[in-house]
Formats: sequence, structure tokens, C-alpha cells
Amino acid sequence: MEAAETTPTEAPPARRRVGPAAALELHAGLGALAGLVCTLLWGVTDSASFWPLWVWFGIVLSLALHAGCWLAWGWWRGARDRRRGAVAAHAAVSLTVVAVLAIVWVASGPGGEFWPLIPIACLVGLLAGHATLGELWVRFDGRAREHALTDRVDELTRSRRGVVEAQAEELRRVERDLHDGAQSRLVALTMQLGLAEAELADRPEAAAKVRAARAEAGAAIAELRDLARGISPPVLADRGLAAAAQSLADRSPGPVEVDASGLDRRPPPIVESAAYFVVAEALTNAAKHAPGAAVTVTLAVDGETLRVAIRDDGPGGADPAGSGLTGLRGRVEALDGALRIDSPPGAGTAIEAGLPC
Amino acid sequence: MRVVIAEDQALLREGLVALLAANEIEVVAQAEDGDGLLRIVAGHEPDVAIVDVRLPPSFTDEGIRAAITARERHPETGVLILSQYVEPVYTAELLAAGSAGVGYLLKERVGDVPAFVDAIRRVADGGTALDREVVAQVMSASRRGPDDPLAALTPREEEVLALMAEGRTNAAIARALVVTQGAVEKHVTAIFSKLDLPASDDDHRRVLAVLAFMRSAS
Repeated sequence: MEAAETTPTEAPPARRRVGPAAALELHAGLGALAGLVCTLLWGVTDSASFWPLWVWFGIVLSLALHAGCWLAWGWWRGARDRRRGAVAAHAAVSLTVVAVLAIVWVASGPGGEFWPLIPIACLVGLLAGHATLGELWVRFDGRAREHALTDRVDELTRSRRGVVEAQAEELRRVERDLHDGAQSRLVALTMQLGLAEAELADRPEAAAKVRAARAEAGAAIAELRDLARGISPPVLADRGLAAAAQSLADRSPGPVEVDASGLDRRPPPIVESAAYFVVAEALTNAAKHAPGAAVTVTLAVDGETLRVAIRDDGPGGADPAGSGLTGLRGRVEALDGALRIDSPPGAGTAIEAGLPC
Repeated sequence: MRVVIAEDQALLREGLVALLAANEIEVVAQAEDGDGLLRIVAGHEPDVAIVDVRLPPSFTDEGIRAAITARERHPETGVLILSQYVEPVYTAELLAAGSAGVGYLLKERVGDVPAFVDAIRRVADGGTALDREVVAQVMSASRRGPDDPLAALTPREEEVLALMAEGRTNAAIARALVVTQGAVEKHVTAIFSKLDLPASDDDHRRVLAVLAFMRSAS
């Protein structure tokens, strides 16, 4: 698996955003060129009236219309919701009309009454009316209010997911830094101590001291390794959820069976990470409250949902408000997932999580 | 003995070179990524390639992949993987990839110089060198079911089993446990009989047999 498959692909390069801007620039460039050519021609042919004025007028007008469309489209796309988008587009169109009126007034010979004033006042009034009415409508019309709320919820979900992803990325970076930094230095240290110990072969007491120092360094390495695994296990990023779950199973004191046959694709890393920590926490709980009980972990992708189930046949009676399980709920719900805990006393415990993926 | 090293961290790479030189092992070439490793193995045909699991460009498991490819293309070159973490899943992949001459050790084991050098020689000779952490994990995983397949073994036999799974020769096991080689051979026979495994003179094959047994029991 190449790295590109294991990390989510970045948003497709922003080619669409470059397109319209480039088109406008092209338009402006060609227009300027045409205008200059005509002006040069006029200079060469020496006619009476400055006819290139009309060429320039046409060019500037078309540019203004083009820019207006582009602005309207950009403001509409960039708006937080549909209602604001409509107001923004209206504003852009009004600006364009104002610009066109101003250009016409200038081209018809500046000086004299500024007749566009009245149309401009009407446009401003219309825009203000649109914005106000939109605001009032949302307050008093239930469906409009609902649309506004839905849009806000979508925006919040997107930003929350962004926060979770940023956090996971940060943890991966910490694990890498630990690996490349402190852990690697300690390994180099054990190497040097090992070499020193070999050189002290003729002084057993000194050699014993060096060996003890090496053992301490080894203990530090092991602790850092466990720490790193607790925040961002390498096997999860390298081999995926099934392998990482099996690794958890291998490390737990009681018998744990992992069935990942329903996992036909790798979910996005952020979902894999949440699922991994659900399994880790559930297994820790099982080891603590149901030692020796047989545990089964099932992982499957069902359409658009990753389903994680951890079941044990222990004494049951798990407290869903316990700190470990509430932490689990937080992780799952941060990604719009659902967590269910079934733990009737005497009938084992079942933890099931569904994560959209 | 001639070895090559693939390690992207200069501090560790230089430390390894110094350590090996002090033990009469010649490092004929060094590389910093997977492609570099394949090039120097092809070019120098060393006895052993010592490879870090995590190499550029992805810094995930480039090293394992390159090592498996090297084993396929150059079956005569032993491969010793060094890692700051061991995962049984990588062990399984390495063992599946070819015949003898494979090792998987935690990086910190290089501090125990005699044992590290012994592991390299074992891999160069076509044998196996698995980290005792990996063996311990596989062993404890195998005992967690309702029946403990290793229940019939005495504590001493368990120790011998673990050292066998690491790929050590009978002589090395005898040295480690400070007993005679004859005693070790007796233990080995008893173990194979109790676990109902076919006896084997080949150290590498018995590693595979033991690991396969423990995997199937877990």
C-alpha cells in the first residue's frame, strides 16, 4: 500500500477557482490590447473624432458585466447559507449595475447632473429591503428557520470534523517526533553503552555498572514505546484497523477473538482511529471488570457505516456513565457516530459503535 | 562477513557501522531508503542486509516492503529488520516471504553487542533471529484460550521453547541457560513430543513449526 492510499486524498486541486479568475484576466488583457490597437490606429489615421472612445466604452462595459457575474458567483458560493448567498449575489448584481451606470455617465461626458443617483438609490433600497425581508422571514417562517438551522448544523459538523482530524494529525506528528527524537536517541545511547561494556570486559565491576545503565535506558525505551502506542499506534497507520485490533487482542490478558471479515475496505484514518480507541477502551474495561471472560470483536463495513462490536460473556452491569465509556461516546459522537452499551447484570456486556465512513 | 545497512537516521547508522566494525563485520554499503536498499543489495550481494522498518518516503513500513522484495530477488542474502516497535503481523509477513535467513529485532537489542552479533551471524547462516518480545507475545497469545496448549511443559521447557522460537541453536540455548547442550537436546525432544510436532534438525524449520503451533493455538 502506498502512503497515498492510507491517508485521505487532499481536496482536489482548486482548478475551478483559478478558472474564472483567469478568464477575467484574459478578458481584461485582450480588451486592453484591442483598445490600444484601436487607439494606435486612430493616431495613425488621424480622424476627427476620438472614435476609439466607443471601443473603450464597449470593452469596459463588457469587463464590468463579466466582473459582476464573477463577483456574484463568488459571493454566492462563499456565503454561509442559501439566504445570505442570495443577498450577496443581489449585492454583487447591484454593484455591477451601479458600475455600468457610472461608466455610461462618464462616457456620455462627465459634468452635468449625476442622473444615475436615482437608480442607485432605488438599487440600494431594493438590496436593503431584500436583506431585511430575508431576516424577518427567517424569524417568522418555520421552514425558513429550519433551513437556516440545517445549514448551520452542516457548517458545525464540518468544522467539528476538521477539529478532530487536526487533533489526530497532531497526535501522529507527536508519535513521529517521539520515534525520531527521544526514542532514537535512547537507542543510540544503548548502542554506545553496549560498546563501552564490551571494552570493559577486563573490569567486570565497571562492566556491570554499564550494563545496569543500559538496562535503565532499555526501560525508558519500552515506556516511550507504550506511550507512543497509546497515542498513535504505528500498526494502525501502516496496516489498518484489522491488524491493529488483532494487535490489541494479542496484548490483552484474556482470550480475545477478532473477526474483521466484514471489513472490505479501509475506512478514512480518522474513523479507523476512533474505532481503534473504542476497541482499546472496551478491551481494557473487559480486562478490568470481566477478567478471563471470552471477548469477541467484530469489525464490518455496512454500506456507509463502520460497525464495531465488542462483546464479552462476563458479569455485565457496566456503568455507562463510567469515565472510560463516556470518553468512548465522545470520540464516536464527535464523528457523528452512535454508541450503544448493553450490559444487563449477569448477562455480559456488548458495546456497539456505528461510524459513518 | 559483509553486510549492508538501510537506515535513514544518521546517528543510528553511524553507531551501527562503528559497532559492527568493532566486531569484524564489514559494512560494504549504506542506504537511506527502500530503493537504495534494493540497489545496494543487488550491487554488493552481501551476506546480510540490516534494515530499519521505517524508511523514507512514507516513513511507515517502507523497510519491511523493501526487505521482502530483497528476499525475493536475492534469496542468498539474509535480512535482519530493526524496529523501534515489534508487531506480530510483520513477523508473519517476513517469515512468509521466503526461506531462511530472516530476523526481526527491536532496535535496542543492538546494545547487547554479543547477542546482536550472534543474531547477525545466525541470519547470515540462513537461520532465524526473532526478538524475544515477539516470541513472548505470540506465546502468551497462544495460551489465552480455554485450553493452554503449553500446559504440559515444565517451566524449563517453556524457556527452551521461547529460545527455540527466537531461532537460537541448541548450543546458544545451552549458553543462555547455563546448562549442557545435551540437557538442551533432551528438553527439545521432550517439547516436540509433548506438543506432537515433527522433530527437525534444521533450526529455521523448527522456528516455523513452533510459531505455527503457537499461532494455531491462539
